[in-house]
Amino acid sequence: MNEQRYIIFDHYLQGGMAAEEKNNFENQLKTDPEFAAAFQTFKTVHLQLETKFGNEKEREVFRENLIKVSDKHFYKPKVIALQPWHYSVAAVVMILVGLFFYNYNRRPSFEDFNHPESAYFTEEDDVNATLKQAETAFNSKEYKKAVFLFETILKKKKKPEIEYFYGVSLLQDNQIKKAQNVFSEIKTTTSAYKDKATWNLALIKLKQRNFQACKKILLSIPEDFEDYVEVQILLRELE
Amino acid sequence: MGKIKIHPDQKYIERLSANNLAVIQEIYKKFVPKVVFYIKNNSGDQDHAQEVVQEIMILLFNQAKAKTLKLTCPFDAYFFLLCKRKWLNELKKISSKAVTIHEDVGSINEAGLKLVQKTEQFDEKQQLFDATFLKLDDKCQELLKLSFTVKKMKEVAKKVNLTQCDVQKKILLCVGQLTEWIQKQNQFKSLTNN
Repeated sequence: MNEQRYIIFDHYLQGGMAAEEKNNFENQLKTDPEFAAAFQTFKTVHLQLETKFGNEKEREVFRENLIKVSDKHFYKPKVIALQPWHYSVAAVVMILVGLFFYNYNRRPSFEDFNHPESAYFTEEDDVNATLKQAETAFNSKEYKKAVFLFETILKKKKKPEIEYFYGVSLLQDNQIKKAQNVFSEIKTTTSAYKDKATWNLALIKLKQRNFQACKKILLSIPEDFEDYVEVQILLRELE
Repeated sequence: MGKIKIHPDQKYIERLSANNLAVIQEIYKKFVPKVVFYIKNNSGDQDHAQEVVQEIMILLFNQAKAKTLKLTCPFDAYFFLLCKRKWLNELKKISSKAVTIHEDVGSINEAGLKLVQKTEQFDEKQQLFDATFLKLDDKCQELLKLSFTVKKMKEVAKKVNLTQCDVQKKILLCVGQLTEWIQKQNQFKSLTNN
């Protein structure tokens, strides 16, 4: 192993070289590709070590938090050995509880599926400033303000993307009728937001607990919809 | 060429990096059900889904900490594709049948797909590095770990019962050894160049 070389690399990185020595070192980096590659790898190794050990304590805390949330999400009860008679008691209790909660807790709720995506406009024109404000208001969940700003923009310029986020703002602000109109209009177009609008129409029906209508709308969404997995989950929960 | 616009969902990455418990809960509530559904529908079960999601979450934490993750697409699509590809790769390992990865072209744009590939390369690079690190002798491993966790050379020297000068020299030699091994690995080189 070329020990001297690593001592020099370290000396340079620690800022311990005099001006002339530093110049010579940097010149060698420019003229000697093998030397430059070795130095680059030396720096990469430092970075990898920093990533591996530098954040170890924080990573452990993160891992602990993660496991707590994960176990709660996936619900892992403790396994307790049951006596044979326990099974009959448990079965009776489960049937009673099941009957009691049937039709109440088995239905999916709007809140479970209401995850509006962030707005992300890349427009570069005269409505840009207001659109930026609308984007910020929407992403900060200030939906009333977003509704007002989108309405201002839509007076000057109509675009499916803007109309779609206007519709979502209306829905989040509980202006259901207006939201429904906006989504219904987008649904009739051929825009890229057509299926998203249909999904939101289904969500409106879910919010109104009109499960039959919700299911009917969901079945009209094509399989190539980007969030089709969500459609499948909701359909399964509606079954 | 225009400046890359960071997606507002970058907030998830920043909050993960800050070890925010609420964001972990939010991700599990909003985005994990979709992953579970997908894995269950593709030869996996609840335990597989839990494992895949945890591994991806730790990977995102590591990449966020290394400050190399800048979202240019929605977090939802990015996270789902990462988990999905991770599961399909796991499936390839445990299944004797060939598994083909089908990209959901409609669900993520080209920039998003590149981002997913970049995260996978980050992971691969880390794994290669970890494997190389384990080739070092125990003393080297201990010294390097101490020097990046304890940080003060004086304390490291005290812990391992050596002089400060000897510790510094030994650490440098260990890093040098790692550098030489890594430099010989073509796979690592190609990942670094990407």
